[in-house]
Amino acid sequence: MHDTPLIGPYNSDDVVAWQQGQTRTARQFLADVTALAESLPDRPTVLNLADSRYAFLVGFAAAILRGQLTLLPQRRASEALRRLAGDYPGSYVLTDHDDRIEGLDAVPILSTGGEAPWPKNIPLVPLNQVVAIAFTSGSTGHPVPNKKTWGALTGVAQATGARLGIKEGDRIGVVATVPHQHMFGLEASVMLPLMHGVAMYAGRPLFPADIRSVLADVAGRWMLVTTPLHLRACVAERMHVPAGGLILSATAPLGRALAQEAEQMFQSDVHEIFGFAEAGSVAERRTVTGDRWTPLEGVCVVQERDSCTVQAWYLPEPVPVPDRITVESGGAFFLYGREADQVNVAGHRVSLGDLNQTLLRIDGVQDGIFFLPDEEAGLVTRLMAFVVAPGKTSEEIQCALRAHLDPVFLPRPLVCVPSLPRNATGKLPREAVLELSRQWVGEDGHGV
Amino acid sequence: MTRPGSPSLEPDLAKLIVQTLKLKVDPVSIQPEAPLFGEGLGLDSIDALELSLAISQTYGYQLKSSDPEIKTIFSSLRALANAVEKYRTK
Repeated sequence: MHDTPLIGPYNSDDVVAWQQGQTRTARQFLADVTALAESLPDRPTVLNLADSRYAFLVGFAAAILRGQLTLLPQRRASEALRRLAGDYPGSYVLTDHDDRIEGLDAVPILSTGGEAPWPKNIPLVPLNQVVAIAFTSGSTGHPVPNKKTWGALTGVAQATGARLGIKEGDRIGVVATVPHQHMFGLEASVMLPLMHGVAMYAGRPLFPADIRSVLADVAGRWMLVTTPLHLRACVAERMHVPAGGLILSATAPLGRALAQEAEQMFQSDVHEIFGFAEAGSVAERRTVTGDRWTPLEGVCVVQERDSCTVQAWYLPEPVPVPDRITVESGGAFFLYGREADQVNVAGHRVSLGDLNQTLLRIDGVQDGIFFLPDEEAGLVTRLMAFVVAPGKTSEEIQCALRAHLDPVFLPRPLVCVPSLPRNATGKLPREAVLELSRQWVGEDGHGV
Repeated sequence: MTRPGSPSLEPDLAKLIVQTLKLKVDPVSIQPEAPLFGEGLGLDSIDALELSLAISQTYGYQLKSSDPEIKTIFSSLRALANAVEKYRTK
């Protein structure tokens, strides 16, 4: 395996990132990375918690040059981060804000504002260097590590850009509503612009009005990396942005109707990525044209009897697909939803088994189960939980859960019950939990 | 910031919050000064997004996270009610 440059085809004065009228050029970026790399402690692993996408990228690149692994935690809750750091002794935190995690050393990512000359040689990174570990939620209650090589990240970035027709030197500004610490965000909003020599927006717009104003300010063509959730919010607001952009959605299935509305409103094509943390981005489709997914260049989805795997030159071994799918002879495929234990809440995949284990570790909880009701109106369907914890209130349990789970996974509501309807073998059939939720909703109704 | 002679928006907004986010609380039990996010009601950024849509549709006020006051606006029911009162277009 050979080495490839740390950055794509930027000229020294090309913009790498912008925010609020300020820009950082490729020359300044390399100066920032070099300065930070020299000051990093000699440690094996790092938790990069930077809020700014640019600061994250500076920290990520500096860690790569120092041969350090960046951990991409699935959960940002403080207790979950501490546990993760405990699994990787010697970990420290890179941050661009004041948040500290007790017991972990923190190093600030400072933009030096320095002006180093453009280097004769761009630093090279071996394609087989492991640069990050993404974590997924396993049914055992412990996060499952997935190693990411430089080859995997750059390979996906190149293949995605090629599929979307992005060429070197295009004037494109990439804006993302997704976090850069998650696989899709890292691939599509950090690595994709970096490898194509285009600019990224350092912030993370949340509300439709934010998205509109950022897109309106993009120098050149805009590309929006987002989720069905944000698209639905934008469509509901009927906003206007410059036509001819490019939208890339992932993390949850995008409905055809919503894709059509989004294409009309944004006057832009809406593409969707299918992927998962273990394999990264796998396939693409333009949602309005059909349900069929076409694997990215260099990626194969292989069906063997009941199981399917993803294979690619940068994956050391075939990776099982966590969804039920069928593959056509030409290699394209159709998706039919997640395997039973895996659920998707607001674009975040999680194992119910993992959540249940987390719940059972809470002091005073004797029994408990998380449950995802069938979809209903509104932007997001939230998890519910039924808990047996004599002497505890649901507020106390919620409060304890908050230290372990991201807010999106907190049950709404968390209902305390005297016992769970377990069957003779101790199992809790979905039908029984469904009945429990019906009873609960029937008695109280939603809301008041 | 309440318009002279007009009743506070707090009760209406409390109802909107509970309905939009399907919370299991009585709207009148929401303390006007208590935090809405994190501790308090325990709302998160997706709630903020849902709530922003409901407020935009009901009052014609589009929230922006680039607004320097956004943290204050979302800090409590009272602060939110004041902001909606000030910027509403319907």
